[in-house]
Amino acid sequence: MQYFLNGLPLGAIYAIVALSYSLIYASSGVLNWSQGDMVMLGAYLGFTVVQLLHLGFTPALFISMAVVAAVGVAVQYFILRPLRERQSPPINVVIATLGVAIMARNIALAIWGPDAQNFPSPVSPAPIQIGVLSITRQDILIVVIGILLMLVLHLLLHRSREGKALRAVAQDRYAAVLMGIDTGRSDAVAFATSAALGAAAGILVAPIFFVTFNMGAGLGLKGFVAAVIGGLGNIPGAIAGGFFLGVLESVTGGQISSGYRDAITYALLILVLWLRPSGLFIRKNRQKV
Amino acid sequence: MKKQTMLAVAAALTTLLLPLVVTNQYYLHILNLAGIYTLITLGLNLLSGYTGQVSMGQAGYFAAGTYVSALLMLNSGVSFWVAMIAAAVFCALCGVVIGVPAMKLSGPYLVLVTVGFGEIIRLVILNWTPVTKGAAGLTGIPLPSAFGFRVVSERDFYYLILFFVVLGTYVAWRLANSKVGRTFNALREDELAADSMGVPVNVYKIAAFAISAVYAGVAGSIYGSFAGVASPDNFTFDDSVGFLCMSVVGGNRTIGGALAGAFILMFLSEALRAFQAYRLVIYGAILIFTVIYMPQGLAGLMDVYRRRRRPEGRP
Repeated sequence: MQYFLNGLPLGAIYAIVALSYSLIYASSGVLNWSQGDMVMLGAYLGFTVVQLLHLGFTPALFISMAVVAAVGVAVQYFILRPLRERQSPPINVVIATLGVAIMARNIALAIWGPDAQNFPSPVSPAPIQIGVLSITRQDILIVVIGILLMLVLHLLLHRSREGKALRAVAQDRYAAVLMGIDTGRSDAVAFATSAALGAAAGILVAPIFFVTFNMGAGLGLKGFVAAVIGGLGNIPGAIAGGFFLGVLESVTGGQISSGYRDAITYALLILVLWLRPSGLFIRKNRQKV
Repeated sequence: MKKQTMLAVAAALTTLLLPLVVTNQYYLHILNLAGIYTLITLGLNLLSGYTGQVSMGQAGYFAAGTYVSALLMLNSGVSFWVAMIAAAVFCALCGVVIGVPAMKLSGPYLVLVTVGFGEIIRLVILNWTPVTKGAAGLTGIPLPSAFGFRVVSERDFYYLILFFVVLGTYVAWRLANSKVGRTFNALREDELAADSMGVPVNVYKIAAFAISAVYAGVAGSIYGSFAGVASPDNFTFDDSVGFLCMSVVGGNRTIGGALAGAFILMFLSEALRAFQAYRLVIYGAILIFTVIYMPQGLAGLMDVYRRRRRPEGRP
């Protein structure tokens, strides 16, 4: 039970990162490997805002989300738009986003240096005891803000004009173009939203992990795993996949072996993909993915 | 035609005599590493370029090859060649194991299976301390010997690696221009059509995985003896990504592309050392520009050039 509880904040982080993968994949069919590094950039920017401008946690969160969203749009506009115009094969798109990841990681290394930075938590570190269980305030904060972000995203997707356009493009890109939707604009919206989500995940996770230039690699990979578990491109699936992965890792890490934790995760994942190629939480889609 | 023969003879002589001219050990070391990476990229081109199955887990086979051959040599005292064959067989089996779940998948799902495989191998090496020495890694991996000569120096290794690169290129070239290569191409272009023409699709897909795994395994086996040490840090996800970049930048639908990609990216990443902290930033930018403006890689660029020189009517 304690392991289950420990898995929740990690699960919320994975869910947010998984959402950012799924959103981009659903709307533009791009597998964006630089998503993990948006998490890293978000954490560093938040760190800088807190350290240099002496602002609180909340303004840091919003400033960093806005800046990283702009980075996301730039990546979309300068790199993925030309690739789409040239109808490049998917593998080239993957390499391009990996190139972005390499650049982002090393720019961060050049600016902030190789040392891990300690991001101060906005809440007191003392854990809260509930019977035999304990949970830190930071963990609660992560889960609460994570769920809030998901609700906001849901409202944006279903209520706003841009969100509706995005969903239309995700459903059928060609038909959406015929209906007069600007797909360039909706791609930009998808990249901005995804990057902002990544940045939020970065700031939320920063107080539990240290902020380092390569923190994005591991988190990005795990977020991708969570997105695939839930069925890539499926928004509720990504959230479920994130929490599922967080709890699974916490339980296997605590009960079986912490060293083999990730190996067990990947082995399970390969098994899942073998038996259910379209993700754990989808029933209907029986076609080849 | 005559000009081509002369070019080929000149190229062969240059490669054979190169280590006599290049005496700088560091340059030779880079050349040797590029040769080892060429082997991996050759296998990856057959898998990703020809069959269209993208793998981001080649470092897993590379690691398996290194550790299987190194452990056999260290613990059982078998010769380098026996160990290499064992590593190749083991990697082929790994390739089949991954090929089976992969045959139903494509796109991001396939990528994830290969990433997962690479990470599993690395984590097993890292955690199975009694056998693999964990994070500390293996040291003192024995040197190979051939026909009574012990392969010791960088120059000796140059010829050993050259032998394998030539052999690997020849095998890949023959494969690519045979029924197998044409079937691989057919699978990439239209799997359903190939299936309806009576091609045993799954057998060929799994075979492609096994072949690429053998290439990486042989490369790993040489790498272990060449470096003398091996640790899980040599075989990360980033390395898999590096191999994929070599394959795509060189041009993944040709055999020559593998050679070009491995050597050029290897030298590029060394040449950029002058820029110190910004080395990998520039490297990333070059990658992005390459895939946008040279979608078929360097090999594609060569094709365009050749077509310009030979107008219509002269094949």
